[in-house]
Amino acid sequence: METKNKDILIIGAGLAGIEASLLCARAGRKVYLLEKEPYFGGSAIKSEEVFPLMECATCMLAPKQSDVLENKNIELLTLSELQEVQGEAGNFTARIKKQARYVSLENCIGCGACFEPCPVEIDNNFEEGLSKRKAIYIACAGALPNAPAIDMNYCLRKKGEDCQACKQSCMFDAILYDDKDREITVNVGAIIVATGFKLGDASQYTNYGYKKFKNVLSAFEFERLRASNGPTTGIIQTKDGSPPDSIALIHCVGRKEKGYCSQVCCLYLTKFAHYAFDKIPGVKVYQFYKELSIPGKENEHFYKEIQKKGINSIRAENIEIIEADSGLQINYQNGNNKNGSIAVDMVVLAPPIEPHPETRNIARILNIELDQFGFLKTQPFNPVESNRAGIYIAGCAREPNFMQEAVVQAQDAAGQALNITED
Amino acid sequence: MTKVGLFLCECGPNIAEAVDLDKVTEVIKGDKKVALIERHRLLCSEDGKKFLAESIKKNGFERIVIAACSPKQHENTFMEVMTRAGLNPYLFQMVNIREQCAWMTPDKELATQKAIRLIRAAINRINYHTPLKQKEIECSPDVLIIGAGITGIETALRTAQKNRNIYIVEKNELGGVLNRLQSLYPGMQSARELLQKKIKEIKSHPEIKVFQKSKIKEILGFFGNFIARIETEDKKEVKLNIGSIILTIGGETFVPAELPNFGYKKFENVFTADEFENSVINKENLPQTIAIVHCVGREKFGYCSKICCANSMKLARLIKEKSKNTKVFQFYKELCLPGKEYDQFYKETKEQGVEFIRYKNIEIGDHKIDYISEDEIKQSLSVDMIILSTGLVPGKDTQYFANLLNIPLDDYGFFKEEHIKLAPVSTITEGISIAGGCQGPQDLNDAVIQAGASAGRTLSSLIPGRRLQVEAKTCEIADSICVGCGVCVRVCTYGALTIDESKHISVVNEVLCRGCGNCAAACPSGAARHRHFTNQEIYQEERAMLK
Repeated sequence: METKNKDILIIGAGLAGIEASLLCARAGRKVYLLEKEPYFGGSAIKSEEVFPLMECATCMLAPKQSDVLENKNIELLTLSELQEVQGEAGNFTARIKKQARYVSLENCIGCGACFEPCPVEIDNNFEEGLSKRKAIYIACAGALPNAPAIDMNYCLRKKGEDCQACKQSCMFDAILYDDKDREITVNVGAIIVATGFKLGDASQYTNYGYKKFKNVLSAFEFERLRASNGPTTGIIQTKDGSPPDSIALIHCVGRKEKGYCSQVCCLYLTKFAHYAFDKIPGVKVYQFYKELSIPGKENEHFYKEIQKKGINSIRAENIEIIEADSGLQINYQNGNNKNGSIAVDMVVLAPPIEPHPETRNIARILNIELDQFGFLKTQPFNPVESNRAGIYIAGCAREPNFMQEAVVQAQDAAGQALNITED
Repeated sequence: MTKVGLFLCECGPNIAEAVDLDKVTEVIKGDKKVALIERHRLLCSEDGKKFLAESIKKNGFERIVIAACSPKQHENTFMEVMTRAGLNPYLFQMVNIREQCAWMTPDKELATQKAIRLIRAAINRINYHTPLKQKEIECSPDVLIIGAGITGIETALRTAQKNRNIYIVEKNELGGVLNRLQSLYPGMQSARELLQKKIKEIKSHPEIKVFQKSKIKEILGFFGNFIARIETEDKKEVKLNIGSIILTIGGETFVPAELPNFGYKKFENVFTADEFENSVINKENLPQTIAIVHCVGREKFGYCSKICCANSMKLARLIKEKSKNTKVFQFYKELCLPGKEYDQFYKETKEQGVEFIRYKNIEIGDHKIDYISEDEIKQSLSVDMIILSTGLVPGKDTQYFANLLNIPLDDYGFFKEEHIKLAPVSTITEGISIAGGCQGPQDLNDAVIQAGASAGRTLSSLIPGRRLQVEAKTCEIADSICVGCGVCVRVCTYGALTIDESKHISVVNEVLCRGCGNCAAACPSGAARHRHFTNQEIYQEERAMLK
């Protein structure tokens, strides 16, 4: 019998990918940790605080991230995407495209001197477009690895100009204009997919007025408003810069259309209510919900606290948001089929947790199945195993999940990956 | 006097422009404790590391102080260079003059003063450092799993490997709660078939040894080296050497005896969901109308058990399967159907004619339900049978094992995890994991994943044939000073301290100690001491800083 390859490929370096990497590396395995962004940490690092203990999210993740960066067994490949996979459990060959960063990770110390001189200014996607960034950029303060990347889609050099602004400002010879995209081939025994989720686009549910009215926000926009490393340094404000007197939190946006409950929204909206009450004195907070889902031993107490703080909860159907003289107006039908209407300054929507757009492509490359919703399909009684031996799935790539679920799935997947690659 | 080398890193312009390093050199130069001051443009670069290594060798430095960035950034980098240069890496102190001076203090003069104080403090401290050694210990890769419900069985199957023995101990029959279930939602597969298949697998597995109807009498030891004493079915005693322990003792369903409004044991035909599925459903004829009441006990124990909504729908479907014309009502408060599978399950249940009624308050009477609806209207419904969908609570043995293993419980009486988000199947004691219903209310999927997770953690940390690495920066107890008062035992978060009853002193287990220093801070006699933060080291550091 041929000896199995002991190395492990992990796709996606969010919380689940990080956890799986650390476990496999601790067992002495070589891990290739793939991340398509120039930074790692996934969606978790977008949060200011994590419910129910309201711990700082970046502080929770940072020690794990530095464990990854310092671990000799883990090779973190940022700006990298899977191209092709051949072979079988115990002996896969994966072809990876590694995009040029144009910044040397060895030389760069992350001082950030290159940002200011760059003449290009564009929307920062990481901040949901709420702030600008340069063509040479980091996603947010504290992003790791602590080195920027040049976004060649916007860099003036791409347009044929001989701009050297960043290179001239760099004292460490870290700017590499002639950096090239590379192709890497790795041999591994098992693969863990942890590509995460994308928040659904709320503008497709037109009754909520998202993208139509400026103070209707999607969940991550509100999260970044509260983020101390975000565009407003944590000050919750409307688009005209004033603190909102009233905020409405809308549950279950798109649930009916999608056909599933995204599980985490009730609780992160509860967290948002805490944010609002704690940060804006005297604010009125409303929530419009259909069914409250706050499963788990640790969460009920957290929910009861916002009731004490005075949240106004309205069970509602047929919500329509329109613009009124005083701001936004929410028209709804309450639980007893009576019509109501409330005016607020800001609306925060909880759209569905959807599979990351790359999921379909990953499924095709790996030849694994998707479910009816486009999440990666797993096996009955083995909820992290794909339909192909040696390929495992953890985190929101398989279903909307809480952080702790992503962690245990990653640990489960890591265990199975370690097991299947034993001779 | 030992030869101390001080290295100043310019960090390109980052430190050089904000801190006057010439001034720093000039002021420190006179300090006799420093043999030589070296300076480099970027000490963490390949060139810088080479410079550091060569300088250590050339100048014969015995201890090193580096003033540069945050130790979080490059402490390990420099410790590795020291190790390669033949120095003990703990004879090293890093001074953060970038994040704490250059980037914080815009006034260059003040930043320089601050840097000088911090460097002086490190220089004063470094001579009190002792060389520390990364130790390794022998360990057993074998695993003890306590509780053979589905979680324990699955954990055993996932942990079993060549060169690794798995012992699974169950006080009753194998199978736990699955023995009492008809089917599993949402797929409605037979619970019995799944269980029989899994039991067959563990019984026939060459690396798994099953102890049924057996009791755990005692567990001693620590990660890598536990000894468990077991009383077997035929009252024999067995001693097992194992490296890690996984608790999978499950939970229980709440019995609503103390809640009078639910009429349990007061009226006939009022059953818990567990009783109904385990026995009542097997009766010849089911009555015409059955009501299933959700959220029973939730207010009392203070959390949503997650599984009851979907489980109640499963019961409705079992009833409909058996007795198509029975009318089923679901009395619920909020529908908790998290995840991708259950909205469809709910829809299908409704399509089978199951009626859902939201209640605010409920009072169960003799063959009737009085309830107040959400719009405050009092209503009443006559029914033939009432099923109470009760939540999940900790099992009776939870406290016993918490005491036996010295691990804490949470506010609700489940085993407390090391971190609710980041380490849900770990306990504060390395080598003891938790999975399934003893960690918190959960469904079968969750339990199977937790089983896999606790297996994964074990497979990653205990490798057959490999020794365990032990933290170097631990605490120690000075035997001659310790009076055995036990203060340190109480403040230790990791269960690393115990009282040696024969000598009446406290003892540190270096495998469990993570070097947090709680004991050293709390010890009233100064017997507990952190190896890398001794009183002397801290005192000398502060003395120089404040001078």
